[in-house]
Amino acid sequence: MGFGRYVTARVLWAGVVSLVITTITFLLLSAAPNPDVQQATTQAALQGGDPAAAAERARELRGLDEPLYVRYFDFIQGVYTLDWGWSSSRSQPVLEAVVGALYYTAQYSIPWTILTVILGPLVGVYSAANMYSWRDHAATGFAFFGYAIPNFFFGIILLLIFGVWLEVIPVVYNTDVAVFSVENVVQLAIPVFVLVTGSIGALMRVSRNESAEFQNSDFMKTAKAKGVSPLRAYAYHVMRPTLVPVSTTLVGQLLALFLGSSLLVEVVFGIPGLGRLTFEALLSQDTNLVLGTTLFFTFVAVVGNLIEDLVFTVLDPRISYDDR
Amino acid sequence: MPSDQLLEVEDLTTTFGTDDGTLTAVDGVDFDVDTGETVCIVGESGSGKTVATESITRIIKTPPGEIEGTVRYKGRDLLAMPESELRDIRGNEIAHIFQNPQEAMNHCYTVGWQITEALQIHQDVSDEEARAKAVDLMDRVGIANASARFDDYPHEFSGGQKQRVMIAMALVGDPDLLIADEPTTALDVTVQAQILRLLDELQEEFDMGVLFVTHDLGVVAEIADRIVVMYAGKVMERGGVLDIFDHPAHPYTQQLLECLPEFGGTTVGGIPGTLPDPHDPPDGCRFAPRCEYAEGACRAGEQPEEIEVSPGQRVSCVHYRPGMDPSVVRNDNFEPVGGDGAADGEGGVSRADD
Repeated sequence: MGFGRYVTARVLWAGVVSLVITTITFLLLSAAPNPDVQQATTQAALQGGDPAAAAERARELRGLDEPLYVRYFDFIQGVYTLDWGWSSSRSQPVLEAVVGALYYTAQYSIPWTILTVILGPLVGVYSAANMYSWRDHAATGFAFFGYAIPNFFFGIILLLIFGVWLEVIPVVYNTDVAVFSVENVVQLAIPVFVLVTGSIGALMRVSRNESAEFQNSDFMKTAKAKGVSPLRAYAYHVMRPTLVPVSTTLVGQLLALFLGSSLLVEVVFGIPGLGRLTFEALLSQDTNLVLGTTLFFTFVAVVGNLIEDLVFTVLDPRISYDDR
Repeated sequence: MPSDQLLEVEDLTTTFGTDDGTLTAVDGVDFDVDTGETVCIVGESGSGKTVATESITRIIKTPPGEIEGTVRYKGRDLLAMPESELRDIRGNEIAHIFQNPQEAMNHCYTVGWQITEALQIHQDVSDEEARAKAVDLMDRVGIANASARFDDYPHEFSGGQKQRVMIAMALVGDPDLLIADEPTTALDVTVQAQILRLLDELQEEFDMGVLFVTHDLGVVAEIADRIVVMYAGKVMERGGVLDIFDHPAHPYTQQLLECLPEFGGTTVGGIPGTLPDPHDPPDGCRFAPRCEYAEGACRAGEQPEEIEVSPGQRVSCVHYRPGMDPSVVRNDNFEPVGGDGAADGEGGVSRADD
């Protein structure tokens, strides 16, 4: 099987995975009591009406009296045609709310991802090249510190220092500034820094340990015997093989932080992004919106893993596309 | 020594700083290689052969390694040279082939990329020219369908093919000196013979000096012009291949040959004892603790000075000092230099002029 067919197969498989996840989500939701119906029932009972009839009306109104498979196909069709329903808490379509929040999430996620991808392996390989020197110890200490300290806590401390005491950044994220402006860079610097410290640690450790192995390898000796300069040897002969194991760590690390920590960081810094949207949707029991953000995170995870698989095979030529 | 020699190594000493103190891997070794000749460094594992050859172009990591002495290549001292200048010589004028072809190539790049890298970092050659030259060399070292295999990765080659690729990589810069460190040890016997033959042909074709490291005396017999026998970081004996095989002077050389059944050896199970501790080598001759002829004089002072026992053959053994009786260490089949009797045929190699 060639590379093209492998890619096609992986993409199709990613589609199947997302379908499975959507199906499970649908089944869970249809098994759970619908808050809108419950609300209608409660209201009818309070106003002296017939709760059962009110519930029936509410179900009819939302098409819940249809057979399960009809609702399933409706739901799936909605998911894939980007008709994700109406958010009652925000009084706007779910997709619109998600896209609006994504606009803010992307503003710190993109620089955060880029910095992590570049700095993690670079610092790790540098650390390995200067193993047991004070630079290595400093980088290692930094890695463990960033990995160990909870992001939201670190965020609160930095917000206290830079937002409250030094007043360099606004305490609550200011949505009025332009995306590409100095003010925006300044106010996003701290959340990006916090997230980078969280994500870079594991990458630095993995790349340090992997490259330590490669820098003592026979092929590095070959490279030296060929007359390759140390810089070129590290860039080509150490960094490249190191990226293979690093790439498998990278996506998992970023996704875990994207789903978990970014939510907390957004709440701390008051960024109206996806994390806070999810958080508020949960609080206000806005089922459609929770579903929408969950689906979005699911697709990010599926696409992220797809990219990881593809990058992995591109980076390491020994991995074959056969039999998969 | 004339300074127009290709490679002259004088008093080469390589030490490593370890947690247990200083380890002396190579201790004041001299040898030289001339254009067109093959010099073999022979000795058992751990005797410092590899470290000695990797010290020549300083590909040993320093620190923990420390290299002292003089290595003159075409009259220029490589050990006194700045690293950047030495890099121009590595892979370009002096090329290396290593023991384990399985690990010697980077698994992330095509063999073509790796061969042309060796050329393009030294010479301003276009990609097309570099490719043409690499394909040509791959073809020359016996890779079938070379232009298609240029874009294959190392894992798609067998062990013997990888060593052929490594040879092509070494030769791409037209080196004058090829240092081959046990290039056939990791290969099976039939492939070994092919690689040796290939190296032999290429040496003539490229008119190179070859410094060949091996513990396999069978290989030495096939390719060497001259032999340097090393033990525990010191040279025990040196000489032409026929002299060494025909009348080995040093007890260590004799015992090495005794281990080879194909050369009439009868010792089964090797030489008793082990190499001395490189942190704290014994006084006197390094081989004395394992030598059956050792006496008081062998265990005192420094390694004995080298004494010429026949033209070009020199041995570091106290029994050859004036006033000593060399017949103590000579085998039964020993014929003194200039003696009229030929070797009794026990050695697999006989002197051409006998």
